[in-house]
Amino acid sequence: MKEKEGYVDCPKQQLILYVEKEDGKYGPMQTGSYITRNYLDDFESKQKSLEESLRHQVINGEISPVHYFMVMEDLTISELASRVKLRKAKVRKHLLPGYFKEISAEILNSYAEVFNIQVNDLLELTHIPGHSAGEKEINE
Amino acid sequence: MNTIPYAHKMAAHCESGAVTSLLNNAGLDITEPMVFGISSGIFFGYFHKMKSFTFPTIILRSQPGQMRKAVSKRLGIRFHTERFRDPEYGMKRLDELLAENKPVGVQVDFYYMDYIPEWERVHINVHYIVVVGKNESGYIISDSYFPNLGVLKESSLKKARFAGGNMAPKGFLFYPEYIPEKIDYNKAIVKGIRKACFNMLKIPIPFLGVKGIRQFAKRLPEWPKLARDTEHLSHEIMKINILLEDQGTGGGGFRFIFATFLQQAAEILKRPELADFSKEMMRIGDGWREISLFSARIGKNRDLGPERLQELSKMLYDRADNEEKFFKKLYKSV
Repeated sequence: MKEKEGYVDCPKQQLILYVEKEDGKYGPMQTGSYITRNYLDDFESKQKSLEESLRHQVINGEISPVHYFMVMEDLTISELASRVKLRKAKVRKHLLPGYFKEISAEILNSYAEVFNIQVNDLLELTHIPGHSAGEKEINE
Repeated sequence: MNTIPYAHKMAAHCESGAVTSLLNNAGLDITEPMVFGISSGIFFGYFHKMKSFTFPTIILRSQPGQMRKAVSKRLGIRFHTERFRDPEYGMKRLDELLAENKPVGVQVDFYYMDYIPEWERVHINVHYIVVVGKNESGYIISDSYFPNLGVLKESSLKKARFAGGNMAPKGFLFYPEYIPEKIDYNKAIVKGIRKACFNMLKIPIPFLGVKGIRQFAKRLPEWPKLARDTEHLSHEIMKINILLEDQGTGGGGFRFIFATFLQQAAEILKRPELADFSKEMMRIGDGWREISLFSARIGKNRDLGPERLQELSKMLYDRADNEEKFFKKLYKSV
């Protein structure tokens, strides 16, 4: 690829491409991301629509907030279980709204750490009533 | 504690970038393409189903950690490495090394690199950065994907170094301990090329190397059945562009950086035929870039019907044929 063909004006995301310079030598060129420059709005709109659809499912009691964040963060059950150091079967239960209410504060904290959010972000997603660990957390 | 004087520069890829910059800062004049080529970094793998991925994916480089190991073995460089069970001790050890003015390479989960824009960050446990200091705001980071030195909060670095999951970093850190005064690049380059050719042509696993490109071409038309909806399929198809261009490949799925390595190798070994291979590899890279731009376009336009995916699949078969011919010729020539 020639230097001119590779150049993208996108200060938001810079990267290195290896290109053919004018003297025929190949080498690095700092440039912008093609996909961020041209398609970031499309990515954001898809993320937003996914988020709305999942939020709707949480509110309707179809999935739990753990499921919501797992899909938003593109994690598999296996990967999430390994990160929160729980068995897959246990995590599978936590994806269901009924079992979510029984999760201890300590485990909620592990999930929050993996999703890089506060525990309250998990609970306030739907204002799930009757969550003892969550209420304790909010009161603290 | 202050920042250790360290020449930061962006690089195409995090591992080859971190290894190159640590070696450069330790006094060895070596380029990123040379590190990439000597360590046989170029690769292809298609994973249709894997427990740590939510959707089929491709990989375009050798196993994480392999670049450092291969460079060490082939150039006679010794890296000091450590892993930790206890996060507290792992952080303390890092501080001790920084206090000794040693820039330290660490393996992290990319997701927690707060200085990188949020839309880029994903959970991937095999990102490599160099920690070059610490101040009241946090750790000073030299990251190949960031134009300047970044600052990372202590809590974020700790989470990133001790994240669980597939290929968990376990606090892994490394730094060059010994660099020989005289290095025989000739042997190392030939070994690097031969191993790269072997990896692309001869691994007897149907989804790795050139066979992996064909597997990708064959199974791509099945993707619509695996996606939640059209938007999800569009996202996954557009990710082909990210994997080929944005996710630290130097463009064309590492093919441009490999072409650069072959050009530099031709000069060092004084073998002009490698310069011809280099030009051919650049053209192969252009072919991959065509695929990445095509994927981004059809994804954005939601033009994802069977005909369009067959077209993409045909392009992939074509790239597989080109690479098979290329690596066979290259294997014979070295």
